[in-house]
Amino acid sequence: MAVTEIAVLDALRKIEDPDLHQDIVTLGFVKNISIDGGRVSFTIEMTTPACPVREKFKSDAQSIVSRIPGVASVDVTMTAAVRPNRSEIKNQLIPGVLNVIPVASGKGGVGKSTVSANLAIALARMGARVGLMDADIYGPSIPMIMGVLQGPEILEERRIIPPVQYGVKVISMGFFLQENEAVIWRGPMLIQMITQFLGDVEWGELDYLVVDLPPGTGDVQLTLCQKIPLTGAVIVSTPQDVALKIAQKAIVLFQKLKCPVLGLVENMSHFVCRHCNERDDVFGNGGARRAAVDLDLPFLGEIPLATEIRTASDAGCPLLIADPSSPSAKSFQHVAENLAAQVSILNMSGVSSGDVKITF
Amino acid sequence: MNADLANIPQEISRANQHDIQILWMDGHISVFPARSLRLDCACAACVHEMTGARLLNPLSIPADVHPQKIVPVGRYAIQIFWSDLHSTGIYTYDRLRALCPCSRCSSGRAEAPPTRP
Repeated sequence: MAVTEIAVLDALRKIEDPDLHQDIVTLGFVKNISIDGGRVSFTIEMTTPACPVREKFKSDAQSIVSRIPGVASVDVTMTAAVRPNRSEIKNQLIPGVLNVIPVASGKGGVGKSTVSANLAIALARMGARVGLMDADIYGPSIPMIMGVLQGPEILEERRIIPPVQYGVKVISMGFFLQENEAVIWRGPMLIQMITQFLGDVEWGELDYLVVDLPPGTGDVQLTLCQKIPLTGAVIVSTPQDVALKIAQKAIVLFQKLKCPVLGLVENMSHFVCRHCNERDDVFGNGGARRAAVDLDLPFLGEIPLATEIRTASDAGCPLLIADPSSPSAKSFQHVAENLAAQVSILNMSGVSSGDVKITF
Repeated sequence: MNADLANIPQEISRANQHDIQILWMDGHISVFPARSLRLDCACAACVHEMTGARLLNPLSIPADVHPQKIVPVGRYAIQIFWSDLHSTGIYTYDRLRALCPCSRCSSGRAEAPPTRP
């Protein structure tokens, strides 16, 4: 019996995407089916290279199709194309950027910059095209954490070429300051800076632009929400009640401005003693997970309080580069995968307040 | 995760020469007479920031005032560039829906308070 395309598609319909709750044929992931006698080959195009079930999809597809009578060999190619967040205006300021993801917190000192840097690197290591914008104008720490020594190149017509470090395009106010210099600015200057970081930087084609925000609910957050439709925000908090209460204020800001919240990350979740391996919940534990449940938001994962994360950041070589197989690095990887999944879910869901058509 | 469909616009267009029409995601259509929307501007020059008292004198607004350009503000609002050169007001989708002048929406409604995120 000759193998038909319909038989292959019917077989593949049994594979369901665990996040999108639909089968991979209906979702349009299966492409380039070619049948040559008993030899079947096709491509599965995922919504993100950071897909945690990538290998499982591949082996499931392989075994399901090989069970079709008449099939001698199966060749599955896995690719990924990140789906864009649908919007009209974003395309004017940053035309090639598919998703803008601010990383925010209510309180300072919860490790936003370290989380942002490691998330950006994790996404890039999985094959995504990633940018990291340090929007903490007053206390830019990304150049140090990312170990970027050379600033951007400034071309004529005010185009800024961001340096690329660890596979991530990086821009920061820190590049434009002398050491020990401070930024003492009022709101309008901040707004101008953020606008330049979006519009004047050659971001090129990016799947994800991670934005490291300053703490709080001020001018930078508001400007970002007004200038472009953001895909959704990541909220970082430590497990203490006080930090979580303030994190809720950041969530309220994003909800008010109709920017979806992609989820909560619990940083400094617990400490593991490197001598006895005993776990110590320094700030209490599970607070962010409970808060996520209470607020009906996805919980993206917990990052431990670990000396190696701090030393790696201070040395300008984030842990995902310095020691990618360590448990702490894996926790960042896990959060990045969950984040990419949430972005896919949101962008495949269809309804967005960012793509209003204005014909007035 | 997506907010109420009623407060998300699908299309913002002209109802006629001057007036603004919004088609919402839930299928409802609002038509805003241009001048009344101009008078509803909630910016700091038109409404007192602390007391909420209206500072705008309606007599100062031309009868034929109309939008010259409408641009989106992030995901949550529009900014209208009016023919009287006023443009500082941000009209959030939530507020626009609350201001819908159709008889079904406006029956039994007190005037919506201005909001300014």
